[in-house]
Amino acid sequence: MIKFEQVGKRYPNGHVGLHELSFRVRRGEFLFVTGHSGAGKSTLLRLLLAMERPTSGKLLLAGQDLGQISNAQIPFLRRQIGVVFQNHQLLFDRSVFDNVALPLQILGLSKVEIGKRVGAALERVSLADKAEQFPSELSTGQQQRVGIARAVVHRPALLLADEPTGNLDPRLAAEIMGVFEDINRLGTSVLIASHDLALIARMRHRMLTLQRGRLIGDGEAV
Amino acid sequence: MSATRIPPPQPAQRVGAAPKKHEAKTPSEEPDFRSQLDAWLESHRASLVDSLRRLAKQPIGSFFTCLVMAVALSLPMGLALLLDNVERLGGSWQRAAQISLFLQIDASEAEGQALREQIGAMDEVAEAEWISREQALDEFQQQSGLGEALKELPDNPLPGVVLVTPREIDKVTLEALRLRLAELPKVQQAQLDLLWVERLTAILNLGDRFVFGLSLLLVMALLLVIGNTIRLHIENRRTEIEVIKLVGGTDSYVRRPFLYMGALYGLGAGLLAWLLLAYGLGWLNAAVIRLAGLYGSDFALAGVPAGDGLSLLLGAVLLGYIGAWLAVARHLNELQPR
Repeated sequence: MIKFEQVGKRYPNGHVGLHELSFRVRRGEFLFVTGHSGAGKSTLLRLLLAMERPTSGKLLLAGQDLGQISNAQIPFLRRQIGVVFQNHQLLFDRSVFDNVALPLQILGLSKVEIGKRVGAALERVSLADKAEQFPSELSTGQQQRVGIARAVVHRPALLLADEPTGNLDPRLAAEIMGVFEDINRLGTSVLIASHDLALIARMRHRMLTLQRGRLIGDGEAV
Repeated sequence: MSATRIPPPQPAQRVGAAPKKHEAKTPSEEPDFRSQLDAWLESHRASLVDSLRRLAKQPIGSFFTCLVMAVALSLPMGLALLLDNVERLGGSWQRAAQISLFLQIDASEAEGQALREQIGAMDEVAEAEWISREQALDEFQQQSGLGEALKELPDNPLPGVVLVTPREIDKVTLEALRLRLAELPKVQQAQLDLLWVERLTAILNLGDRFVFGLSLLLVMALLLVIGNTIRLHIENRRTEIEVIKLVGGTDSYVRRPFLYMGALYGLGAGLLAWLLLAYGLGWLNAAVIRLAGLYGSDFALAGVPAGDGLSLLLGAVLLGYIGAWLAVARHLNELQPR
């Protein structure tokens, strides 16, 4: 599903974000990308979201070369990807329901369909009773779960998460990871960038380790 | 974690694909045309309602933005309406433009009357009036204040006159008519004073150009006002725009609420400008009627015709829309997800 072939990312100021990275991700796979700050985890996610383009090599997502994708195609690419951020990126002037409904409104689904899907997504993250509340009325863990509901409500083929448990205590972090595993069991590929090695080790999934933009490890976390 | 299951995600080969009709959705999910139309209308309705809500949230700020735009709109429109009124007034004066035919001094009363009838029957002539030598002398004595001196003259020195009111007020037509009348028997001189008509026309032309230039300048100012206002709205919604782009919102989806906002500002400004003009002209009209009355005229300013008012509204909405479009186009590329 994802294929990195000698992918490099060099910024105009000379800084190298990624250095000839090569790996593959199968459809329905669950994997972590780990490494210290500045290792290139976020750059990798930004490349997958077409927020940046590789400066060398070939990056394929479901057969599509993200180095060659046109600007007009980018929104349609992103509609097939769900993304979860450490800081949630919720809209605080909209209710939980409206936050989660946003990707479906963009897809142009009917009100009835949106209602059904948002309800199901909130149910999955155990927030069905918070639909009418605003994000500011929720705890950090609940806000993160709203972010996850928004990321999966449009049934993406790929879910990306950038340090999704960074602000959460261990119990909440484990709970959130459980949600990701639930989603993965339904067939969605999940790629999580995290530096929480203890948590990753407990999950026993494939782990890519980056260091200064280079891939230095690829195997099951132990 | 949860017992609720939603259907599994669709095959990953759809990732990144532009929404081709045959593969955008699986057959069971494929919405029919009616659903798509409803969703599209719903999206527009939501954008419109959202824009209205945001304007209503800042009523004073929104009102003053509309007021500034209304003043910019009403200045050229008001001047254009005043010029229209002056042209209307000038038109009635021009219709009073006459050619004076001074007859030879030996032309008799009967010859003068015959000439008046002959001229009055011409197609280009609206009216012909005969003023005999005696009438002319009487009028001159009354108006010149030289009554006693004129009585000392042995003979009446004034000729009989036929005053010709033409149908057309075009300069070329009038000059052709004057030349033709000058050829008639017993006519000594045919006089047409076009200078004031030309001056008035020149002043009105100048006014038209001034209004046109002012309109261009104020349209630019208006686009800047709406552009700056929309830019502030964009800045305030930066996070929202970034999130929308991140979850697959196209540029047109991001642009839509701002276009509605621009059009709504335009609509508000157009309505205010219409009101300003209607009240402004009504306020001036009282003084104009009083002044015209002193000159024995029943002239009054015409208000804002409904057609002009609707054009003003439509133009304002269009300007608001264009201003918003320009502002969003300029700033949209700067707002990429971080």
